[in-house]
Amino acid sequence: MTRSARGGQWTAWAFAAPVVLYLVAFYAYPLYRNLDLSLRDYTVRSFVRGDAPFSGSDNYTKVVQDPTFGPALLHTVIFTLGSLAFQFTLGMALAVFFVQHFPLSGMLRALFLVPWLLPLIVSASTWSWMLNSDSGIVNWALGLVGIGPVNWLTSPSWSLTSVIIANIWIGIPFNLVVLYSGLQAISPEIYEAAALDGATGRQRFWRITLPLLRPVSAITLLLGLVYTLKVFDIIWIMTKGGPADSSTTFATWSYRLGFGNLLPSFGPGAAVGNLLIVIALIFGLIYIRRQRS
Amino acid sequence: MKSSTRRWRTTGAALLALALAGVAGACSKSGDHASGGAAKPYAIWDPYPQFDASSAWSALLTKCGTDAGVTVQRTGYDTSDLTNKALLAAQQGNSPDVLIVDNPVISTLADAGVLTATDDNKLDIASMQPNLISAGQSGGKTYGVPIGANTLALYYNKAVLTKAGVDAASIKDWPSLTAALAKVKAAGKKGITFSAIGTEEGSFQFLPWFWGSGAQLTQLDSPQGVSALQLWTDWLKQGYAPNSVINNTQTTSWQEFATGDYAFAENGTWQLANAAKAGFEYGIIPVPGISGGTAPAPTGGEFVSVPVQTDTARYSTSAKIVTCLTSTDNLLATDTTLSYIAPTTAVQDKQIAQNPALKVWVDAVKAAKGRTGDNLGTKYPKISEPLWNAVQAALSGAKSPKDALTAAQGAAAK
Amino acid sequence: MTRPVKTAIGVLLTAIMLFPVYWMINVSFTRDTDMRASPPHLVPWHGTLEGYRAVLDQQLPYLGTSLLVGIGTVLLTVALAAPAGYSLAKLRPPGAGGLNFVLLIAQMIPGIIMAMGFYAIYLKLGVLNSTAGLILADSTIAVPFGVLIFTAFMSGIPDELVQAARIDGASSWRTFRSVVLPMSRNSIVTVSLFAFLWAWSDFVFASTLDGGGAHQPITLGIYHYIGNNNQQWNAIMATAVVASIPATVLLIVAQRYVAAGVTAGAVKD
Repeated sequence: MTRSARGGQWTAWAFAAPVVLYLVAFYAYPLYRNLDLSLRDYTVRSFVRGDAPFSGSDNYTKVVQDPTFGPALLHTVIFTLGSLAFQFTLGMALAVFFVQHFPLSGMLRALFLVPWLLPLIVSASTWSWMLNSDSGIVNWALGLVGIGPVNWLTSPSWSLTSVIIANIWIGIPFNLVVLYSGLQAISPEIYEAAALDGATGRQRFWRITLPLLRPVSAITLLLGLVYTLKVFDIIWIMTKGGPADSSTTFATWSYRLGFGNLLPSFGPGAAVGNLLIVIALIFGLIYIRRQRS
Repeated sequence: MKSSTRRWRTTGAALLALALAGVAGACSKSGDHASGGAAKPYAIWDPYPQFDASSAWSALLTKCGTDAGVTVQRTGYDTSDLTNKALLAAQQGNSPDVLIVDNPVISTLADAGVLTATDDNKLDIASMQPNLISAGQSGGKTYGVPIGANTLALYYNKAVLTKAGVDAASIKDWPSLTAALAKVKAAGKKGITFSAIGTEEGSFQFLPWFWGSGAQLTQLDSPQGVSALQLWTDWLKQGYAPNSVINNTQTTSWQEFATGDYAFAENGTWQLANAAKAGFEYGIIPVPGISGGTAPAPTGGEFVSVPVQTDTARYSTSAKIVTCLTSTDNLLATDTTLSYIAPTTAVQDKQIAQNPALKVWVDAVKAAKGRTGDNLGTKYPKISEPLWNAVQAALSGAKSPKDALTAAQGAAAK
Repeated sequence: MTRPVKTAIGVLLTAIMLFPVYWMINVSFTRDTDMRASPPHLVPWHGTLEGYRAVLDQQLPYLGTSLLVGIGTVLLTVALAAPAGYSLAKLRPPGAGGLNFVLLIAQMIPGIIMAMGFYAIYLKLGVLNSTAGLILADSTIAVPFGVLIFTAFMSGIPDELVQAARIDGASSWRTFRSVVLPMSRNSIVTVSLFAFLWAWSDFVFASTLDGGGAHQPITLGIYHYIGNNNQQWNAIMATAVVASIPATVLLIVAQRYVAAGVTAGAVKD
């Protein structure tokens, strides 16, 4: 009994071993570097020489006291929750729609993934052009129905909304594909049985589909959260986090500090990056706790 | 059970061995280490990814290498990425032998100890114009040599101005420019386009107006500086400049001008080739100062530098390559391709001889200022970012010009 | 709702979703003079093929490298992630919670920090500017995701099936290979799709680790048209269009392999 149980554990770890080694080899060093960058006082000179003095939590204090901190935090929350809510709902609706078999459903589903084939510089630039105040197609279409031009990317009131819209567009394929795969795993016999019992489509969705999709939904939401927290390319290309910090999130702020100007401040940039990791960790813990229960 | 675990372990070990063998193979293939300096090719990094291996620029680099007796390996990077790549490479001891970067970055790299000064690399800078070489100087030492310079001026669309009844020669100061814009708008066309994006490009485009008002970068919130920002803000409010300037790069601003609807575009020497293709007649006037005269415009253009290497014997060959690149004949060819103005009088004369229309630009470049000049050096980036933030805040209506610049001065002074 | 109606709705939804892609194609045919035309041209009336000419002249090798890197990443990711997913889902090693946790953190590290770390490692190992190095780096984007997805999906495989195989005398590896893997077709295709797409559109790793390489992917090839002062937008968009065609074909083919009801009929009651 004991021997086979131990053998079972050994096998379990043997299967997971390649990934564990891989994680240690490839993620430990960058993570350590990120922590190191945030705990030392780096100038460009000490970055090159590698002799930066240890500065403890100075970078974190500097970051929290910066006037950009509050707005960046707020925008990060709005951006993440807004994107997730719409991406997930739309992805779910589309997955449920496409799971019914009709002609061309397979090809159309594949076409939904095309946005992911485009380099982000291309898709973000395309959205940028579509939302241009003067020569963008969106304002032109609004003009057709009598609504005046909206300064999508250049007004502090609209910049965050614009990047959220673009991010939702980019996030739908991910949610669609994962949720669709999850739906595939639900046996049609269960639906047949429910239909025999007189359940309506609505009831079937809420009482059968959603509960059975819980593990896949949970992982989709969690991964969606992690990826949305990291998003910076789209915002950077569309608005550079502006104007006047109105679309700055932690991710863009971190990039701007470390790489987006002529004089890199690696310390504060890494500090903001680590704060993002902490936020993601909190949600990760919540997820794992709920997995256990 | 035991046999399966053993089979799994064997498979795993075999895969691991294969992976290691692959890595070792790649390792041995990728050239030798350290000694044998003559065998190791000379790496040149430049910010011109638009030139590929078959271009005249690549051919020039190879030729300069061959003339110096070595093979050259050239890589083109995105210009906004190149600073970080240079810093990362220097940290890992993998710096290129010749590095060509945008001029405001030179002081940052020099400060980081990445570049050698002329004392070490023995480059001859005597014939370079002082205002152009100042961007590469820090603490009394010179860290690079300009490969060419460009600057900003106002392109105008002759047809649009004629239609509005504006004479370009009459635009001498800010009031006359604003009056011209009003006339253009009344005639149903669009006024002026420029780039006010939240990056160094935005600061670059704002500087002629900032300096033209008499303001200095050491005091962003002076009344003169506020008047410059007020000029731009008023233009947007009155519809003389489009709202899209807040997000325009210099390229997209040029695209707006190229539609033929705009009277003026603030853009640089490098657009000359595109201007010829524009399909309408264009002219150029210098950016006017607030009450007359020509506003000092910032110098653009890249510098060629020699990064620090552990093997200092390589400097003499690197210097030969740099000298070859900046020799009179080669400069003429390079600057013509890049649409830049040469940094030496001798080559400038040749450029004017080839194309008399360039005289306007040569004069503009002679009157231009380096951004990191005036001994600002690495203080410039700390000033430039708050400056472009202030421009963005004022133009988008988030703050008044005065408040925006006061906040910027506070941030810059920290 | 009849099936043709559903198809019509499906086409409409796809068209709305792909409108920005249409716009990208529109821009790829637009002349420089018309780029900022106001009002915008819905169809490129005075089109130009100069973007496509440039792409077909210069970008095809980059496409080939991107395809190679994409497929390599898929193989490496699935090979690493599937066994680990099986382990976490069915074999439950002690400390699995910790591993889940680490996988989450692993995905949060910003790409540029990862790239900087790899630069140092690769330089020492001498695999900088190599395609194999890029495949390895791109896999780090997909492997944690892959493990989490495989875990989630393999948890859904009924335990009875696994027990049945063990009772029949199969080893863990045999169970994995012959029972679990065939039933995981959905998750394998899902993970492969994302691994391919992430590798295809990756820029940060390509730029830092393969910037000077002889074989570069398409995300670097695009920078041909992003010069230091001028950008050729119709060529940039044309590159994206041309690059998307083979990948779209691959996607459509791959979608056929996601079969419905994999567990149906496997467990007899």
